[in-house]
Amino acid sequence: MAGRRNDEGLRGTGRFQDILVNLDRRIIFLAIAAAVAFPILLPLNLPIQVSNEARAYFEEIERLSSGEVILLSLDYEPDTMAELDPMTLATLRHAFRKDLRVVAMTTYAGGVGIVERILGEASREYGKAYGTDYVFLGYNPDWSATMLRMGESIKRTYPTDHYGRRTDEIPLLSEVDSYEQIALVATIAASALAEYWVIWAGGKYNEKIITGNTAIQAVLIYPYYQTGQLSGFLGGLKGAAEYERLIERDGAGVRGMDAQSMAHLLIVCFIIAGNAGFLIQRRSQRRARVGGGDA
Amino acid sequence: MKSTGPVILGFLVGMLMFIQYFTPDKWIEARYNNVLDWKQVVFGITLILGVVSLFLYHWRKIEKREAGWLYSIVTVAGLLLMIAGAIAFSPQRGPYTWLFDYVQSPMQSTMFALLAFYVASASYRAFRARSFHAALLLTAGVIVMLGRVPLGELIGFSAGEKTYSLATLSTWILDYPNMAAKRGIMIGVGLGITSTAIKIIVGIERTYLGKGA
Repeated sequence: MAGRRNDEGLRGTGRFQDILVNLDRRIIFLAIAAAVAFPILLPLNLPIQVSNEARAYFEEIERLSSGEVILLSLDYEPDTMAELDPMTLATLRHAFRKDLRVVAMTTYAGGVGIVERILGEASREYGKAYGTDYVFLGYNPDWSATMLRMGESIKRTYPTDHYGRRTDEIPLLSEVDSYEQIALVATIAASALAEYWVIWAGGKYNEKIITGNTAIQAVLIYPYYQTGQLSGFLGGLKGAAEYERLIERDGAGVRGMDAQSMAHLLIVCFIIAGNAGFLIQRRSQRRARVGGGDA
Repeated sequence: MKSTGPVILGFLVGMLMFIQYFTPDKWIEARYNNVLDWKQVVFGITLILGVVSLFLYHWRKIEKREAGWLYSIVTVAGLLLMIAGAIAFSPQRGPYTWLFDYVQSPMQSTMFALLAFYVASASYRAFRARSFHAALLLTAGVIVMLGRVPLGELIGFSAGEKTYSLATLSTWILDYPNMAAKRGIMIGVGLGITSTAIKIIVGIERTYLGKGA
């Protein structure tokens, strides 16, 4: 039988099981693009249930009183913006709505532009003033030393803010110089940075930590939540969507849920199809071997 | 002396960082802060070293017209443009922020977004139930994949007041088998870090000094 050439240059037999096993990757790419685009154009509005860890994240901010200070560390770069920006924006909206004061920073050089953009957007929305309601400390090299040093003195760790203003002249920081005056540390992280906030700020300085992470990283975070070292966390875009529902302000997290659901479903369908073809193929090969042996 | 000096220095700094955990002594606290300050300075210098090294590597490639030298031109041009933009107009406005917002951010986001397509293709090819263990991993993967999106909450059944869905099963997998495995790894890593730290402090582990130490 004349075979068809798949994307790996292998000549298939054209049988159903061979087609299932050797689907052209361009078909997969097109199907994924369609599965992501379709729900964005026509939303399915799938229900979003709130997980315990997202509720805990929400409640840690909700329990704070007006005027209290939170440290928000945005530990990611533009590559994970799509997943982490929604939770950052939701956290800032929640904090500003409650009139909390925000000390923002980043441990990633590439995170500076992201912090400026989101902090600007949220502060404009709630009419917050720089220096009294929020401050951006900027990027400091070496995250571990920065986290530890801030436990001793924030102003000595950051003698100036991101814009070159002396931190000892910034009104918000007049009463704030270490974790002792910070009610909560929130880190939105693309890497294992949340673990280090737990170790350095949590373990050494007894600071309460909440975190938002990419879905991949969230799997590694569970043990810290179970032991209480993390007071709450958001896992991936779904965590962001859950949090947006809790603060009653839908955003990119909720909008992305339908697309993510469809993409995951499609990937599972491809996996099942590939395995079905593989199992049929293996059975036929066994039968052929047994048949050959009999002959 | 070439290796004894650094070993003694390593011992003293290591012991200082260890002891400061157990004492409120002001002198030790001040030295601890000094070490953290030095650490940040050293880290800053490594960044400069990295930029210089990246520049020289690509510059040599361009000079010798090695394979992919055209890409090296793009790298060097991007590097110089960002640095020049930040110095000439400040990192808060002008070409630096424009390049960050409209070149770097979309490029990095695009690279990450492409992963979705490659993950789909790779999982289709790699997730095969070739053995019992592979089938187990595959099943857990599929449950977590569906259970972590709203669709997974719709797939299930209710028994009395309780609802059992793929989301519930996914949470159970993450809370128990995943947690147990992760804890085991974390304890192992923790013990490994502790033993390596002790070996460095007492001078048994000297690979950080380079060859021949």
